[in-house]
Amino acid sequence: MESLFSQLCVLGSSLALITGLILLWRRGVQAYITAFRWQSWAITAVTLIVAYFGDDHELYWVAAALFVLKVMVIPRLLTRMAHRFAAERELEPYVNTATSLVVAGLLVLFGYTITRPLVALSQLPTRAGMPLAMGLVLVSLFVVISRKKALTQVIGFLMLENGLALLAVLGTYGIPLIVELGVFLDVLMGFLVMQIFVYHIHETFESIDVEQLNRLRH
Amino acid sequence: MTTFAILLGPPLLAAMLATAMKPYRRIVGWVNALLSLGSLGAAVALWRHILAGEVLTSGPLEFLRADALSTLLAFCVSVVGALAAWLGPGMGGDDGYTAREARRFRIFANLFTFTMLFAVTSNNVGFMWIAIEATTITSAMLIPLHVTKASVEASWKYILIGSIGIALAFGGTVLGYFDFVSLAGRHETALNWTVLMASAPRLHGPVIQLAFVFILIGYGTKAGLAPMHTWLPDAHSEAPAPLSAMMSGVLLAVALYAVIRWEAVVNAAVGTGFTDGLFITLGVLSIVIAAFSLVVQRNYKRMLAYSSIEHTGLICVGLALGPLGTFASMLHLLNHTLAKSMMFFLAGRVLHRYRTTEIAGVSGLLTTMPWTGGLFAAGMLAVIGLPPFGLFMSEFALFRAGFAAGRPWLMGLVLALLTVAFVSMIGHLNRMLYGAPAAGTAVGEGSAWPLVPLGACMAALVVLGLTLPAPVQALLDGIVEIVGR
Repeated sequence: MESLFSQLCVLGSSLALITGLILLWRRGVQAYITAFRWQSWAITAVTLIVAYFGDDHELYWVAAALFVLKVMVIPRLLTRMAHRFAAERELEPYVNTATSLVVAGLLVLFGYTITRPLVALSQLPTRAGMPLAMGLVLVSLFVVISRKKALTQVIGFLMLENGLALLAVLGTYGIPLIVELGVFLDVLMGFLVMQIFVYHIHETFESIDVEQLNRLRH
Repeated sequence: MTTFAILLGPPLLAAMLATAMKPYRRIVGWVNALLSLGSLGAAVALWRHILAGEVLTSGPLEFLRADALSTLLAFCVSVVGALAAWLGPGMGGDDGYTAREARRFRIFANLFTFTMLFAVTSNNVGFMWIAIEATTITSAMLIPLHVTKASVEASWKYILIGSIGIALAFGGTVLGYFDFVSLAGRHETALNWTVLMASAPRLHGPVIQLAFVFILIGYGTKAGLAPMHTWLPDAHSEAPAPLSAMMSGVLLAVALYAVIRWEAVVNAAVGTGFTDGLFITLGVLSIVIAAFSLVVQRNYKRMLAYSSIEHTGLICVGLALGPLGTFASMLHLLNHTLAKSMMFFLAGRVLHRYRTTEIAGVSGLLTTMPWTGGLFAAGMLAVIGLPPFGLFMSEFALFRAGFAAGRPWLMGLVLALLTVAFVSMIGHLNRMLYGAPAAGTAVGEGSAWPLVPLGACMAALVVLGLTLPAPVQALLDGIVEIVGR
């Protein structure tokens, strides 16, 4: 039983990481949104698994919030934005695909290195997934830094949040529910403000390429 | 309970009032201004409790708590919040803002103040995180108050870099919680700072160290520490003056507050060596980058922004210099809040008159606006650390702490960098103050009453430069006790 639980967690975390990697080799925004939706599914599933096997009822609420917010609401809003900017594909990122994938591999390894003390300390059957969650955090960070379209950066940021949510569930069976709900509220508000700003960028610069955001220097 | 309600309630009420009143009416601004005095009074009341040796707590599970550190920050936030309420857009007269912009300012600036006050009085580090994340959202909404290419760029950089930083701080919070849970099991109060602090000596070293790295990078991004500072000069220079004042004056301080809370936990767990090294590295890097950016600066609002990075770096270095250094740092934080918020308001007045943020475009400031120019000059001298202003005293105390801690080389380096900043800022100031004003620049102060509260800031800086009042000393001593070294 214990090992099934543990394996399911690793499987879910791996799926979350792999969907994160899709941002590095696909070009179209629609593919990114699909990847984000699948990733949110994976994280919701992991939360449900932990709730069931770990016998923690609070986590069912967290899973429900995850589902509503990250599987339904945010992807839908993203799709609406993507229709507006359908022509804007991530054609020339700052770092090309091959290099990006190599970097991502190194980042996942780095994730394993820095989470070693965590895995050593934890007694939970979920602990094996933590390095993967950390890997997702680092890869998403790299996406935000190396991609040029504002929308890609937003999705990278959302995936970073997903990685942290995964880390919290795997490491501690979730932070206290009331704090968790506050975090969800912040994520939603932050996303909405980012959405407004993407529209601002599009209105003032007639594109969402952040490369043109270079007036302010020194 | 009442004290906390009077502290946190007014900005929330004012924001609701501004939301309800559509279209905007001047009365909102005035009610807001009066309400802001309530928060200020509550902060002073908290201070009195500290002097009487009590730590106020409130709510279930000690939800809110105001020890000496919280009180200092609550005081700073409510002072700058009150300044912004009195001097912000929508008080009548031609201030260069439309009614719509004034309404938006009143809504989000008050929410911004509320989130900062909540961040510094929340005992739960999870809620502290939520509040600081919310400061990013509320303040970002105000940067593009006038939508221009530059303000859109600044707001995008701010929201993106700020959100990522704060997300990493969340990672650090989770790791800290993880450490606690692995030790003591899951707890309703496990994220309470007091509980973390009590069990800190038994926490697992490598994990809490990793957590602190995340925390420092995360909250350090919001505090404007190099190399995560890149959003700061843009946001500070493009934001409307009252928001720049709030961001530079207290937002950076609130982010540092969060770092200090965790620093106390980490120090209790693994000793001070670990945090000292990190603070010195990032602090010195910030001072280096700020000093040399000041040399090439051509924009006076960006100049003030880089000066904020320099001072944040100094405060960080001070935190690594033992109890004396912590004392000096906190005094410096108070001084910097007063000086820098005043300077950004004055810069707003200069911008309103000259219609440019270029240093080269501003000349003859002393002729066109003698009082504003005079205060600006005095404030600048205060910011670069000359006597008889408060920042001189705190920098002096900081250097003394550094030598006492046996770090003469570090102090020499910092002193050299401060000299670089000093020389370049004096040069920029000269160019602005003297010379003939451009043809067509109006002469005279315009509305002069905003100079009264700004003059009060200046007076406070002079007092802090000449003496250390007993209540301030007692408060800072209380903080040193909390950070515990």
